[in-house]
Amino acid sequence: MWKKPWSIKEGITIGGGLVLVGVLLQFSVGAINWNVFAWPANVFVLIIYVLLLGLCYALSDRVYAIRFLTTWQAAVPALAIAVVLTVVMGCTQQVAAESAPADPLGLSKMLSFWPFVLIYLLLTAIVGLVAIKQVAHFKWRRLPSLASHVGIFMVLVCGTLGSADMQRLKMFCEYGRPEWRGLDSYDQVHNLDVAIQLDKFIMEQYKEDKMPKRFASEVEIMTQDGKHIETTIEVNKPYTVNGWKIYQYGYDQAMGPMSQYSVFELVSDPWLPAVYVGIGFLFIGAVGMFVAPGSRRKEDAA
Amino acid sequence: MIWDYFLFIAIIAIVLWIAGAVAAWKDKALVAYTTTIAGIAIFLAYIIVMWASLQRPPLRTMGETRLWYSLFLAVAGIIVYGRWHYRWILSLSTIMAVVFITINLLKPEIHSTTLMPALQSPWFAPHVISYMIAYALMGAATLIAIYQLFFAKKATAASIATAEQSQVNLVCAGYTFLTLGILMGALWAKEAWGHYWSWDPKETWAAVTWLAYLVYIHLARYDTRHPKLACWLLIVCFVLLQMCWWGINYLPSAQATSVHTYSMQ
Repeated sequence: MWKKPWSIKEGITIGGGLVLVGVLLQFSVGAINWNVFAWPANVFVLIIYVLLLGLCYALSDRVYAIRFLTTWQAAVPALAIAVVLTVVMGCTQQVAAESAPADPLGLSKMLSFWPFVLIYLLLTAIVGLVAIKQVAHFKWRRLPSLASHVGIFMVLVCGTLGSADMQRLKMFCEYGRPEWRGLDSYDQVHNLDVAIQLDKFIMEQYKEDKMPKRFASEVEIMTQDGKHIETTIEVNKPYTVNGWKIYQYGYDQAMGPMSQYSVFELVSDPWLPAVYVGIGFLFIGAVGMFVAPGSRRKEDAA
Repeated sequence: MIWDYFLFIAIIAIVLWIAGAVAAWKDKALVAYTTTIAGIAIFLAYIIVMWASLQRPPLRTMGETRLWYSLFLAVAGIIVYGRWHYRWILSLSTIMAVVFITINLLKPEIHSTTLMPALQSPWFAPHVISYMIAYALMGAATLIAIYQLFFAKKATAASIATAEQSQVNLVCAGYTFLTLGILMGALWAKEAWGHYWSWDPKETWAAVTWLAYLVYIHLARYDTRHPKLACWLLIVCFVLLQMCWWGINYLPSAQATSVHTYSMQ
């Protein structure tokens, strides 16, 4: 162990050590509170993280440990441990974001479980360093790999840091009454710059078995900056206005098609464009992987 | 009804595809291409006519998606054949396409069944079809791994290298579709449920599958010293994939919370 070049054993030790550190943190400081990353903290964290990765890369000639992180011997154990922890998550019923974990270890709130977060952090660090390395030593042959690494880095980092800025509010609209108050998952009322007036709730059913066929609401949307929009919002067809996406969410189930109100969900996610750029890179990487899958070869890190 | 003609179209397409599969075994590449592509063209033409006559995209019912699945299996087969010239791939894609066409012939009533509003999206078919193609390719790669582990006793170094390379190629092709499927699912989820990723049990297992195949891809590409480990890993990946596909329906943790049961709140 720890004789250069390091092998997969050192990779497993690094990942395992990180899990151990995570467990100790979990017991000492408790589950992670993602809300502390709310704007503008997340922007600073993102900038510092990327600069730190750049600095690490600059030092990689001198520090072997950093060079090691860009090898498959580091990537494979990190991915494998992420698989194991995600399997645990898949087998454990998860509590809502606003609740405390339901078990003493914190497995029922995996997204706030230190070992899980640290392993994914290690993954993003590896992926980030490899991406920088692939840009510095650019080869067309590796474009799909580069696009995939950049894409997954953007999706994971921006999606996670941005989650604290995401707002999801329920709005209960009765017939003919403009509503501008939204309820968050903690039952806090928010006054919004968007008001919705329900003109008509539509519920269509299939003739054969009375299964729901369509849920829709004819609405008028008024904004504080003077917009007045008449539109129809239905399942799978949200309406976007002033940074909000407005979704058909619910209705009076006891009344069915005769429901006198409609429930909308208003979602704002300022980090969505960054995540979508990442998704775009992943698309390019995936298609490129099909065109040029690459062959088995020895020791050609990343 | 356009559906009444399906039997004839299906028989013509199946005959052409079987001819293509046989030709591929006999290394008559030109015949294989011609017949397989002719079958695809006829099948595609049928779907286009159906689209026009229904006056809506034929993507709504399970039966209609199976039509696309059969078509795309043949397309995937001929693409993989054109790319790597595996003699067996057209047989595999044809058998799978025939299975799904047969289901459609035996259960035509599904063409009138209803579809939840949450599923009524242009993303539905490409998302599902992409996953189905991925599952088919991963299945083929797993078969090679099982063959390598348990049946290839008298293998030469060259035949092992070929088998390993076809494994990697198939997994990479499958991974393309797995990734496209997961990404289209994310874009669809944003439109349907308000967020591109909610760690719904189905999504969690999709992440497990996606990461597990990444382990294989990184290991198989660079670690040439443990070919058996790579084969075993591929089998584990395929088991995880089954969990994601249908296994989670039996998990208590998923039954309680998954939105993939398609219930409207």
